[in-house]
Amino acid sequence: MSTSTRPTPVGSLDRPDVDVRLRADLSSRGPVLLAFGSAIVWLLVGTVFGDVASFKLHLPDWLVQQGWLTFGRLRTVHLNTMIYGWASLAMVGVSLWIIPRLVHTELRYGGLARTGIWLWNVGLVIGNLGVLAGYNDGLEWLEMHRYFADPWLVVGGGMVGIALLVTLAAREADHLYVSVWYVMAAYLWFPIIFAVGNWPTFTGVESGATNWFYAHNALGLWLTAVSLGAAYYFIPKVLGRPVYSYQLSLLGFWTLAFFYALNGMHHLVGGPIPEWMITTSIAASALMLIPVLATAVNLHVTMVGRFGALRYSPTLRFVVLGAISYTAVSLQGMLTALREVNRITHFTQWTIAHSHVGVYAFVTFVMFGSMYYILPRLVRREWPSALLIQWHFWLVLTGIALYVIALTVVGVRQGLAMLDPQVPFQRSVEVTIPGLVARSVAGLVLTAGHLVFVWHYWLMVRGRAPARETLVFHEARPILYEPEAEGALR
Amino acid sequence: MFPSSLAVVLTGLLMGGVALAAFYWAWRRGCFRDLEAQSRIILDDRDYRLHRPWESPEQRLDRELHYGTLEPPGPGEWGGAA
Amino acid sequence: MTRIWLLLLGALATVGFAFIVLVAVPGVMLQDVPRPAELKPYTPEQARGRAVYIANGCIYCHSQQVRDPAFTTDVQRGWGNRATVPADYVYDRPNLLGTMRTGPDLINVGQRLPDVGWQLLHLYNPRTVAPWSIMPAYPYLFAVRDSAAVRPGERVVTVPGEHAPPPGRVVVATPDALALAEYLISLKRDYPVPQRGGTGDAANGRSAHTMP
Repeated sequence: MSTSTRPTPVGSLDRPDVDVRLRADLSSRGPVLLAFGSAIVWLLVGTVFGDVASFKLHLPDWLVQQGWLTFGRLRTVHLNTMIYGWASLAMVGVSLWIIPRLVHTELRYGGLARTGIWLWNVGLVIGNLGVLAGYNDGLEWLEMHRYFADPWLVVGGGMVGIALLVTLAAREADHLYVSVWYVMAAYLWFPIIFAVGNWPTFTGVESGATNWFYAHNALGLWLTAVSLGAAYYFIPKVLGRPVYSYQLSLLGFWTLAFFYALNGMHHLVGGPIPEWMITTSIAASALMLIPVLATAVNLHVTMVGRFGALRYSPTLRFVVLGAISYTAVSLQGMLTALREVNRITHFTQWTIAHSHVGVYAFVTFVMFGSMYYILPRLVRREWPSALLIQWHFWLVLTGIALYVIALTVVGVRQGLAMLDPQVPFQRSVEVTIPGLVARSVAGLVLTAGHLVFVWHYWLMVRGRAPARETLVFHEARPILYEPEAEGALR
Repeated sequence: MFPSSLAVVLTGLLMGGVALAAFYWAWRRGCFRDLEAQSRIILDDRDYRLHRPWESPEQRLDRELHYGTLEPPGPGEWGGAA
Repeated sequence: MTRIWLLLLGALATVGFAFIVLVAVPGVMLQDVPRPAELKPYTPEQARGRAVYIANGCIYCHSQQVRDPAFTTDVQRGWGNRATVPADYVYDRPNLLGTMRTGPDLINVGQRLPDVGWQLLHLYNPRTVAPWSIMPAYPYLFAVRDSAAVRPGERVVTVPGEHAPPPGRVVVATPDALALAEYLISLKRDYPVPQRGGTGDAANGRSAHTMP
């Protein structure tokens, strides 16, 4: 390359696409790093609570002297921290990065988004401390205090939503990519269902129905929606080819929106709510086959012929496995909703395994993959250590595989034992013990994986990798645009 | 279990019918024009022209023919370490 | 799809539709659930006990619903003499239906285990009555005092075996433990399914979840 050539400046007309990306990434940097930083703190907190709770199930006399250490409170903090702390804040980070990229403009109201994230964190601290102190709203997935903790989340989340909406309104892209639909709809859905779920006037079985209207939709219309939005972006982006069928994306989104929201009562199959409601939810669960297949075809067929990419891209490794887990957990869920299967699996460890396939193998994996892609583009360095990424990947993959297999197997045994009235209840407890112990071991493996990831994240944001003067991924390649360099090296 | 299954199927058909009707309406309103362009909006010039080490020579040639000279990826381009 | 409004309105429509189907309509329908004559509202003591149940997360291992004997074996197992119906939960706010049976269903535990003394001992340490149990112990709901320091009206719990307090000391139930025990023994849904005038499964004597 001739030394007299000057590099094409970034932002010139020659590379408008690079300029757009750069502007988007620079604008979202602060809020996204805040969201991700908060998320990984909650990941560690939630992991510790999960580990202790898991051990307590097979060591029931361990750490029982204080109320705040009892299983029933630790488990609740684990769930709330993982859902509203780790998963939700990682998703907030991904949303704030991805929307500006998708609509080709800078993030607006980034300061408002940052404030929102702080408020959300405050709410979580108050809510979790409250649970440990015994303040529990009594509704699964909604335990945090509805007046002292929840409003912080609603306001904070609303601020993030406003920032995204204003950014969307200022868009400079002609079309709204499918990921925009998933992400924006999620921010509309979540406050609505959260408010409904927390509404204090519901009593009796109505309270039960509303509870599961909320909890299932927190999974489907919040966690799943943003995670699918991310998968629909990163898979084609890394591969450099569009998704297999955009028509299917459309079908997938709207059928998910319509059917998923009706699924909630499948958590109450056989329960004392009107039969027609349960039937509706079972039907809706079966109809989920349409959006699940549409998404599966899109995401998996797009990969066909390019599975070699998994060796080169940690992002794809995590996101593709996450997408496969989405298909798997959805198919499992549809089966579980059917009465004949449900009479075996309901109330057992199968449900716990299933929920972790969803929230961990799907959502968490997609979040890991997304963060591996986004961080370098924000801090303008590559990840310091390929080895740490490998360790992270294999530890969490092994951990979740062990977790799911162990609890699924013992869950079925537990269910079959409970189904036979001649078998004493004691037996149903005893058959779960090996699985509970295996799950504790799996939890330790996952913990190791999380420690590796958080350590690596720390190294990354502290700048322990070589900094670059030119901006990685936004770098213009001058030789390709210099006429004199014709015939020069690629 | 027959009556229960029937109820599920009928409910499902009803729900599906509503969904299909909404879809048809949107189609007639022109929501689905030019979907191909929409799916490509996340891919810019640089994405198309990156040299991807996992692609076969045929795939790479195809890319080059469609989009021009390939660019080398940056370190850690695919979400990993250099 | 260039219209944001279409997206947001569509998303609103789908969640609104689900809200109507799963929350609003049932809400209206369930207004007519009859209050069973045999079921009394929770007394202040029982309500306090219910709050202790919630505060300590009992719901994460125990359900409170008996399913239809035509569907499964809850009744045959002895967890109730009939399936539970919406009327059984009219005083429950919030619901404690539960989704796990790490421990047994409790909606009729007052029928099976009506002794406050047993409940207190079991809460203090479940393994004193069921060595195979993995339920946590709740010693913090109790106080260990010198035998001489027991106040009048306090309930002493006789704890046998390895979990017994040191000699000269006794285990005493705190008000929270007593309330929780009172709540648990109040859990009985053994009366016939309430009838009411007019149409509906309850009036026809069927549980809410048998199919026509």
